[in-house]
Amino acid sequence: MTDTDDTASERGGSASTGRSRACDGATTSAEGESGIGADVENLLGHADGSDDTLRARIALQMERKRPPRLVLPRPRPKRDRHARTRVAFLRYSYYDIVFKFFVEHVLDADYLPLPEPTKRTVELGSRNSSDSVCAPFKHILGDYLEALELGADVLVQFAGPCRLGYYGELQESILRDMGYEFEMLNFATVTGKPLTEYIEVCKKKVNPNLSVPHGVRGMLIAFQMIEYLDEAQDFYLAHAGFEAERGSFDRALAAYHADMRTVVNEYDLMDAHKRGMAALRALEVRVPVRPLRVGVVGEYFTAADPRSNLGLERKLLDMGVEVHRMLNMTNRNLRYHEKNLRAGISDYVRYDMGPTSSMTIAATLKYAQEGFDGVVHLKSSGCTPEVDCIPVLQQVSHDTGMPILYLSYDSQTSDTGLDTRLEAFYDMLAMKKERTAS
Amino acid sequence: MTDAYLGIDIGSISTKGVVVDADRTIVARSYLWTEGNPADAARRVVADLASQIDRDVVRVRAVGTTGSARRLVGAMLGAAVVKNEITAHAVGTTYLHPDVRTILEIGGQDSKIICVEGGIAVDYAMNTLCAAGTGAFLSSQAHRLGVEVEEFGPIALTSKRPANIAARCTVFAESDLVHKIQVGYAREDIIAGLCRAVASNYLNNVGKGKKITAPVVFQGGVSKNVGVVRAFEDMLGMDVLVDPDGHLMGAFGVALLAAEASAGAGRGTAPAGDGDGGEGDGEPFRDGAFDFDAVGDFAFKTREIECSKCANHCEIICVYRDDALIDSWGNRCDQGAVKAGL
Repeated sequence: MTDTDDTASERGGSASTGRSRACDGATTSAEGESGIGADVENLLGHADGSDDTLRARIALQMERKRPPRLVLPRPRPKRDRHARTRVAFLRYSYYDIVFKFFVEHVLDADYLPLPEPTKRTVELGSRNSSDSVCAPFKHILGDYLEALELGADVLVQFAGPCRLGYYGELQESILRDMGYEFEMLNFATVTGKPLTEYIEVCKKKVNPNLSVPHGVRGMLIAFQMIEYLDEAQDFYLAHAGFEAERGSFDRALAAYHADMRTVVNEYDLMDAHKRGMAALRALEVRVPVRPLRVGVVGEYFTAADPRSNLGLERKLLDMGVEVHRMLNMTNRNLRYHEKNLRAGISDYVRYDMGPTSSMTIAATLKYAQEGFDGVVHLKSSGCTPEVDCIPVLQQVSHDTGMPILYLSYDSQTSDTGLDTRLEAFYDMLAMKKERTAS
Repeated sequence: MTDAYLGIDIGSISTKGVVVDADRTIVARSYLWTEGNPADAARRVVADLASQIDRDVVRVRAVGTTGSARRLVGAMLGAAVVKNEITAHAVGTTYLHPDVRTILEIGGQDSKIICVEGGIAVDYAMNTLCAAGTGAFLSSQAHRLGVEVEEFGPIALTSKRPANIAARCTVFAESDLVHKIQVGYAREDIIAGLCRAVASNYLNNVGKGKKITAPVVFQGGVSKNVGVVRAFEDMLGMDVLVDPDGHLMGAFGVALLAAEASAGAGRGTAPAGDGDGGEGDGEPFRDGAFDFDAVGDFAFKTREIECSKCANHCEIICVYRDDALIDSWGNRCDQGAVKAGL
């Protein structure tokens, strides 16, 4: 073959390879050898500007710039050259347990655990965000930056019915501008589309070998896990305020979470949950005759995520309060029924006002009707849907006589200011309760 | 011998102190500028109060502190009660005015509204992210206009046509104010406009959504400004009561709480046989009574240390009396707990 190439006119040899490339590189060298004469004849014989001629000329010019490849590209399926990816989620309360399970058993990839968030996390996030964007954006961006520093390949962002739906795109763009290389699994890009699209995007971004049947089974366990975790949290919130030994509930809950992190199948899950709940129930509590009961309502991140609300729930529990919070992933994501929820608050609301608005109002009304002493409403500063809820809540408070404390958080909010307001709220509720008792 | 209780309210701008006797009557009152040094301000207030009472007859049994420096000064004075200013104000005002329904309060850097029903607070709100329209704003504008802030009220009352000043944001209000000065508005109209701006800003922010029912009591430093009082009366269409001791209400409230705590099994109630004074106990008490002189003798120092036990690097505030650690706070977890004697 080298002979032919050498002896044949330089132009001819080049033309054949050039053309074979133009034809998707499927031509073998043998073909080229036998067809050279005719090809050259065909191509160069009629300088009539036909397509073939033109292509050949272009090919010739290309050859001069870039020599022909010695090894032709061989199609190889993506799954054979796929390396396992390290997937990182944003931080959201204790749900990292579920995220870990989802990554390992649904996506079949490596989960990158993030350490506890620190001041640095939010500083990183704030520095690279617009100042006026809501606090969850800053927290999440901080999480992503820390995840990338720890070597994440894929970042996961949720979809959201408020601005959150656009955050994934914006965060991706900010991180790329900063020079990071990663894949973004942004569920907002497939919101409202059929399941096949979800599977497709997971395959594309994380793992092309993803097994659908295995994934479905994993998904069902993950859903069950969310419900169990929320059940344990509800129990903790209702009882930890009266713990006989300080810190006993925190320890038991942490042990339960650690147990849940090791779960690999539905049997483990059930056992871990049973063990954890039994441990929590076994703890000694000293409940006063008429304990103060406070409901926590508000925006998805700020109401449920301790680092976003500066540990508000623990602060309330430390004051000896029974805490209830309807907003969690079970109630907002798995069992959410917007229309039915709204039907219960039809005296106040006719339309869906935003991602957590119906739940905020429905929960507040429920707590008021159940005779709770007060409600704390949490939102990140500038969260429009929750700002819209406030007049409605004021009306509920006015109609039922239940006080509501409104708190707005941003990345600068101080612990001291929060303590002052919570303490005053507690004093007010406690004095009111004492007075009504006598 | 009569029992008495001391209440101190250490705010951002001013420090207030009262001594109440066993009948809950104020027997000594003090009001000074904090001047950025709460420990020293508290010491000065204590000295001022000491000069007003006959210390051989009046024995202070317990101390309460409130205001933004309550924790620091509480540690200094061995307070039996350290209470937030909202509760202290509510307790003080409802004691003096049992029929009050709404308490408006504007201080140096904060403003709050407390709704009262049947003598107990049922709802409250406090400014959160912004300090627009508080005393600090009025002070800085008085400085700009070359008028003492104390003269603001009387000057505002002489205005016939208050200027309309945008009140939403302090910075924009200031731009608006400068603009009106530059185009030649009368000084009293501008001052009256500022007073109105403070009142309308308050009602639109802190007071938003709260039902303001008469009788209304207005207190805090800004309540001393009759121009703002008049603006509130005009806007609410009801009388606004200003107590002559309105600026002391936080201190009074916390003194009442200290008295209550002392009547219970609280601290500060005559530690029996403690003849050596409170030093062993770490408190400025002698024979179960607050020792006014002891406070001046100790040197108080506050140091901030950055905890390095985890990545959060909490700033831990440590208060020392004569180089002995008496209190610390600011740690998020037990790892960072700094204890006396370490």
